[in-house]
Amino acid sequence: MSDAMIPPTAWARKSPRPALPEALRPEPLVQGDVSLADLDNRIRTLSEAKPPRAWYIAITITSLMALAGFAAIAYMLSTGIGTMGNNVPVVWGFLIINFVFWVGIGHAGTLISVILLLFRQRWRNAICRTAEAVTVFAFVCAMVFPAIHVGRPWLPHWLLPYPNERGMWVNFRSPLIWDVCAVVTYFSVSLLFWYLGLIPDFASLRGRVKSRVKRAAFKLLSLGWAGRARQWLHYEKAYLILAGLTTTLALSVHSIVSMDFASSMVPGWHMTIFPPYFVVGAAFSGFAGVVLVFAFVRRIMNLQNYITLRHMDLLNRMVLFLSCVMGYAYLMEGFTAWYSSDNFTRYIFANYVFGDQWWAGCLTIFCNVLLPQLLWVPKFRRSVPVMVLVSLGVTLGMWMERYTIIILSVHRDFVPATWGTYLPTPIDFIILLGSIGMFLTMLLFFLRKMPIIATWEVKPDIAHHHQEHKEAEHA
Amino acid sequence: MRDRVFGVLGLFKSGDALLEAVPRLKDKGFTQLEAYTPYPVHGLDEALGLPPSRVGVLVFIMALVGGLSAFGLEWWTSTVSYPLLTAGKAYNGWPGWIPVVFEATILFGTFTAGLGTLFVFNKLPFFGDPVFGTKATLDIGRDRFALVVLSADGSLDAPAASAALSAVGGEAIEVVPLPDRPKAGIGWWMKVVIGIAAACVVAGFGVAWAVRTMPTAKPWVAMEVQPKLDAQQADSFFANGRGMRRPPPGTVARAYMPILAKDPEQAGKALVDPLPVTARVLDRGQEMFNLHCAVCHDKLGTGKAWLSKRYKAQPANLQSSMMRQATDGALYWVISKGYGTMPGYAADVSQDDRWAIVRYVRALQRSEDAPTRDEVGARSPQPGQRFARSQPHPPSPATPN
Repeated sequence: MSDAMIPPTAWARKSPRPALPEALRPEPLVQGDVSLADLDNRIRTLSEAKPPRAWYIAITITSLMALAGFAAIAYMLSTGIGTMGNNVPVVWGFLIINFVFWVGIGHAGTLISVILLLFRQRWRNAICRTAEAVTVFAFVCAMVFPAIHVGRPWLPHWLLPYPNERGMWVNFRSPLIWDVCAVVTYFSVSLLFWYLGLIPDFASLRGRVKSRVKRAAFKLLSLGWAGRARQWLHYEKAYLILAGLTTTLALSVHSIVSMDFASSMVPGWHMTIFPPYFVVGAAFSGFAGVVLVFAFVRRIMNLQNYITLRHMDLLNRMVLFLSCVMGYAYLMEGFTAWYSSDNFTRYIFANYVFGDQWWAGCLTIFCNVLLPQLLWVPKFRRSVPVMVLVSLGVTLGMWMERYTIIILSVHRDFVPATWGTYLPTPIDFIILLGSIGMFLTMLLFFLRKMPIIATWEVKPDIAHHHQEHKEAEHA
Repeated sequence: MRDRVFGVLGLFKSGDALLEAVPRLKDKGFTQLEAYTPYPVHGLDEALGLPPSRVGVLVFIMALVGGLSAFGLEWWTSTVSYPLLTAGKAYNGWPGWIPVVFEATILFGTFTAGLGTLFVFNKLPFFGDPVFGTKATLDIGRDRFALVVLSADGSLDAPAASAALSAVGGEAIEVVPLPDRPKAGIGWWMKVVIGIAAACVVAGFGVAWAVRTMPTAKPWVAMEVQPKLDAQQADSFFANGRGMRRPPPGTVARAYMPILAKDPEQAGKALVDPLPVTARVLDRGQEMFNLHCAVCHDKLGTGKAWLSKRYKAQPANLQSSMMRQATDGALYWVISKGYGTMPGYAADVSQDDRWAIVRYVRALQRSEDAPTRDEVGARSPQPGQRFARSQPHPPSPATPN
């Protein structure tokens, strides 16, 4: 096996790095004097210890939010769509904004876990598990919205191509069925990838957790993983293949979501830049979401030694980079509108920032392009308050971006006689709040009950750290 | 009976130590080795002489199968089973199928990689690995690297293997017995088969139930069932127990203007043909005349249709001079109210259609006694006098009831 072929999940043993001068040496990915066993114990005790009071308070609030959301959904379905702000000409309201928003957040996991794996960015190891969880939970939230938006959520299978008593098939040329296929595929593959990564950790924990229920559950979930050399051989190969295949998915899912818009004629939607523009936006909001989660998790769960400020720094660099790409995309969109010489498209873009809902477009640009420029300052990239501020801003900004695209494009389209104004109702906001509550509830459960760090991926880093430490002492 | 031996196990502190020990043990003649590690140690597969994983081949095949199946399904549904013309595209317009083909390819590929590794290549779930019974099993999961000298044919010299492992740096050496696993008998297999069959039956009934009930299920009917009274519905709100109210006196239904004239003469003075002069009106009039009138008055209006020969009543000859001199309003009154034996047709023929019949009768009269100037080509029509074919709003022939 040549060096280039060695998967990045373990250190290339054969070619030790040449010793760099102190100043050029990268900051270690692990801090403090920790051993492999320490990591195991930390992860185990996290899932065993009684959660702190703050956790109970937080989960009470978030689950109440989720319940309020479900109540609002039930009310909306039983009373009618009219309880929301949707009406002609804006028939895709909050529900689709929220769908696109959560799908976007869901890109974090794949990008961190999969694309950074292929690029051999070892700093992903400590954060990939939780990032994947963010993906899975965000997708659960996202999939609620199309289901309730179709109006009859007890018939979700009608979206799928299956032989049925109606003698009908889906229209495979419609972007909406592409969307269904893309989202379902992405969700199931993310879930598979997540579970595959968890198996060795379940195996490692199964013999040591105290609770008998948990022990049995972990044993069952580990499928009897023993860590044989042959098992690892197949496993790593599959992991790498999965990573490669999932990368194409990560790039395609939001492209296909964007085609729901781009393949229509609506001014402001009908643009070839939409697929890459949506993918970047999704990655952007995903990274911001992960920064937000880790800013709290590493501190509250006392994981600073494993998820160091260097990790946060690198994540913030990604946010900054993607923010610049977003800025470019916005400029390009504006340029396309101007260059199209189409009065309606030009008007739509002016309407984004100067129209009656000018705050939506302005907030989008401020939060997504201007605010993250703070991260050029190295000190800010390592300052938790600043990164929380920026990533909260980006999350809001990305939501506003979808609001701008989905609402402001259709409410002023080609026929001025159909122009209208969209105003959301309290039900819209409660459903949005409910989805946030649902996401946080799932995340909080995950953080207390499951191995939140992929120990089998971080352990080689720790071993390497020790080795370097020893070598340095020896020198 | 002596316990059968799986092998002799020794623990190492790092992956590197394990890797160094492998060739040294092989030198000593112990070639059947197996390693257990907490994370993948690279180079171990080469050192142990493991063949490369074939996961990739299976993934490639299954991804291809996935993509082709999706393409086949799309082709069959779009062109054979349910051809649906959308956006003016050809039924077999394959570029629109690409996204779904792509998704299916990836779906099949990834699930083959994930589940294939677990269930096909690693033969999981399997909870009986011999190493689970040892003291070392917890350490392997955490931070120790185990090397096992296997007793492939049951003839391992355990003490010699222990000594060799110890010599290459192994610690906590122990002999791993082969766990006694009862052989799965016919009874066990029967249970498995019955279990699977039972699961299939339950799942089948479940799916059948879902398919039958869900399409017609109406968990929320608030949009359909509204607090209002339908026509003919009973209700206690009004004294007579009826939901419907009589319209106030003098109400006129649309397109049912009552005729107040007492006789044809009055009507001739009061009523004027309201219809525009178009060919459609004449066509409609012809259609209605042939349907309702021709049976007695004959298709040319002579009053000598076959039905009149069998009855004593003599239908009017519409070509007579009296009929030619009668006003439009008088003809309309007669059609609506009836005359002599002829019943009124107000209930059967709508207001506009009755006027159209009048118009057609006029055309019939003209056709049977055409002046010479009507010969074709003799005179071009005066503007505004003849048929204007491009009238924007022809009358609606059928009026709502």
